[in-house]
Amino acid sequence: MTDKPVLELNNIGKFYGNIIALKGVTTEVLAGKVTCVLGDNGAGKSTFIKILAGVHQHDEGEFLLEGEEVRFNSPREALNKGIAAVYQDLAMVPLMSVWRNFFLGSEPTKGVWPIEWIDKPKAKAIAKAEMAKMGIDIRDTEQPVGTLSGGERQSVAIARAVYFGAKVLILDEPTSALGVRQSGVVLRYIVEAAKRGLGVIFITHNPAHAYPVGDRFLILNRGESMGNFAKSEITQSELTQLMAGGAELEQLQHELEAAMARD
Amino acid sequence: MTPSTTRVADATAASAAGGDERLAYRGVFARILVRPEIGAAIAAVSIWIFFWAVSVPFGLTSGAASILDVSATLGIMAVAVSMLMIGGEFDLSAGAATGAFGIITLLLVRDVTGEMGGAGLSLWFALPLSFLLAMGLGLFNGTLVNKTSLPSFIVTLASFFILVGSKLGFAKLLVDQIQVGKMNDLAIFSEDRASDKGYAFFNRIFAAEWERNLHQWDSRDAFYTFGVVAGLTLLVIALYELRFRRKETQNMLGLGVCLAGIVLGLVGIFNLHNTRGTQGDVVGAGFIGFGILVGFIGLAMWRYESLNDRGGLTLTADASRPLILGLVALAASFIAARYFDSQNSEDIFFMVTEQGLRAILFVGLGATAAVFLLISSSRAGYTSQTARSAVLMLTALLVAATAFFIRAESVTPKFRTQVLAVMLVLAALMATWAVTTLLFAERRSPDDKAERLGRTLVIVGSSLAVMGVVARMLFVVQAEIDAGAPPSKFSVRILWFLGFTAACAWVLARTKFGSWTFAVGGNKQASRQIGVPAERTKTQLFMLVAGAAWLVGTLLAFRLNTIQASTGDGLEFEFIIAAVVGGTMLTGGYGSAIGAAIGAIIMAMAKQGIPSSRWNSDWRFVFLGVILLLAVIANDFIRSKAEAAR
Repeated sequence: MTDKPVLELNNIGKFYGNIIALKGVTTEVLAGKVTCVLGDNGAGKSTFIKILAGVHQHDEGEFLLEGEEVRFNSPREALNKGIAAVYQDLAMVPLMSVWRNFFLGSEPTKGVWPIEWIDKPKAKAIAKAEMAKMGIDIRDTEQPVGTLSGGERQSVAIARAVYFGAKVLILDEPTSALGVRQSGVVLRYIVEAAKRGLGVIFITHNPAHAYPVGDRFLILNRGESMGNFAKSEITQSELTQLMAGGAELEQLQHELEAAMARD
Repeated sequence: MTPSTTRVADATAASAAGGDERLAYRGVFARILVRPEIGAAIAAVSIWIFFWAVSVPFGLTSGAASILDVSATLGIMAVAVSMLMIGGEFDLSAGAATGAFGIITLLLVRDVTGEMGGAGLSLWFALPLSFLLAMGLGLFNGTLVNKTSLPSFIVTLASFFILVGSKLGFAKLLVDQIQVGKMNDLAIFSEDRASDKGYAFFNRIFAAEWERNLHQWDSRDAFYTFGVVAGLTLLVIALYELRFRRKETQNMLGLGVCLAGIVLGLVGIFNLHNTRGTQGDVVGAGFIGFGILVGFIGLAMWRYESLNDRGGLTLTADASRPLILGLVALAASFIAARYFDSQNSEDIFFMVTEQGLRAILFVGLGATAAVFLLISSSRAGYTSQTARSAVLMLTALLVAATAFFIRAESVTPKFRTQVLAVMLVLAALMATWAVTTLLFAERRSPDDKAERLGRTLVIVGSSLAVMGVVARMLFVVQAEIDAGAPPSKFSVRILWFLGFTAACAWVLARTKFGSWTFAVGGNKQASRQIGVPAERTKTQLFMLVAGAAWLVGTLLAFRLNTIQASTGDGLEFEFIIAAVVGGTMLTGGYGSAIGAAIGAIIMAMAKQGIPSSRWNSDWRFVFLGVILLLAVIANDFIRSKAEAAR
């Protein structure tokens, strides 16, 4: 993969009225690498992802996509430029079938306007094949997404983003609602997606999930960047310390170490 | 039994063939039950049978024509409203809008000269103009809902009042009346103006009628019998194809047996057609019954794998409880039929006559018994196929016994012959099913070939049956003319209804817009995030409803010639009820256009059936309330069962 970053952020800031939601955030995302964004609740992770995905716009700083300054007005625009976000709530419609969810908003069609219809056999076949590439065998793509497990739903969302030619894949807390084994499965998809040449932004509050898969770590606390490190520059425990924002460090560290030992 | 060439271990091993072992294969019944419109379809058939039993017009062509006519205008709106509801919104202005666009069209074509009050436009301009106004209403509702993020319930409630008020206000202001007319003035006064302003043309499009008595076709009944018998046979074959596991090598002896069954059945049908009188009926019915049994067992022998592990004849407590309840209910229904006097037509209780009470008790208890017996057979099947088949066979025998009981107890010919015939065929099919499910193995893995064939058979079979019934409704034979056939007229409104429903069903199932409709109703936030134009989709749905209101308003204007200012007011809830009865979820994201159409037919049957059963039509609303409640509960129950079965 090239060394030139797909996505670059310089001193990005965002205000809601007089509330500073995000300030001075700088990082870069390389193709084929996983950039982890870590932070506790309220650290500004959601704002960060929403700026990247075009839901909100930044108020200061530079947002460069492949070297060009960009500003997205809608999620659709970001998606068209190759930035796909997989949200915590997964952006799925539980009552709809797997293949419909897979192609939602970008259905392959046959026929000429106004008589256009979805190419159902093609859509089903692609959905099945793409899921298989991620290592998931969906036997019946007609089953509603609501009947899948959390990890499988994540994999549908990731496979969808990969298929639609995303250059940058943003994953918002993909492991937060999952059990240990399912989290492992999703982490594998993250590595898989990066191997296929995507720049992955993995947002989490769990250093134990971030450290094994991440190549670069951006740490946020109360809307501010606490630093931006390559994997070689930081250890997992330092990561944890930074995330906690220096408060009651000793005690927190012990608690976390104990917690991680249990994992 | 025939020795099967390959003795594969039974179904449980099938999942070893590959795939996710946690994902159970859904059998044919589970897949039918998961359709949103299934509850409505069952309800429609039951209600039709109910009114057919208690009133005269049901089952006559004239009755069918008027039910379809009433359901047409209701159904077009119900289908549009159900699409909007799938998209997660309501439109309370939909009812008032139907009248409003009728009035607008009428005001636009009324003559300006003299004291008529109106624009005096040609229909060629008036109809597109009022359609544009309809699009405007939809745009207004949709934009307001999107921009304000208020519940559509409130926004369209406001539109409702605005429409109701404007209808009255403008009608009084411009015409000085609370009704606006008359469409056919265009034709009546056309000589003065040397033009009917498009009336003849549009009248043909919106109000053409097919007069049955003008269309004679003497081989109609042969076509009807062929269509229905062949159609139903294909449907049952489709059921077999979807249910059973195919054999690797076919058994040609089975094919021979199957053909013998077909011959037996044909002999029976021929016999029924050419004899009149009880004795001939019994012989014919017997041949048909045997034909069904032999034919389908032959079919199964020919194509399907036999079942090895049948289990013993043991009933679990779970299965025997509903069995006992079912038998008790059936006995009670027989006792009720014997106890009450079938000839007494005096009111004995509230508004119900003794004969009415007898019919209600008999049908109600009988239906309860059938449900309990079917539950029992399904539960027995959890442990043993033998037990399931035994209960099913018992049920089939009881259905046959009930058929003869009904014949012995009733005097009207429709019970003595038609009910007997249908119930005996049903009993034969059930008995055949009991035998075949005991002897042959269920398919528990997907089989594309079998599924494609099954689907084709379903389509061909149902088309044949529908064509047969339609032919019977549209044409008269000489005998009916001689007997003085009552005039029945089918209006083009029915075609509009069917066409609109088919178009909407296709859009929902097959197009982007349909997918997006489900998506914005199911999870608006999510669908926006991945690039579905949620606001646009919702606005278009509001415009669809307004467009449907324009169509219905136009149909009404041509049918009634005069539209009252209050026309359509209050009907919006009927549209919503029809949609909900048809399986559409109030919370959005789930539903069906075909279901809503069936829901509208159910409501039309209630409207027609209650007066024609000589009940006070004020009770219609009670009936609607009960139907709504039952439908919602049943749909919810079926859906949760089906989801669990997945």
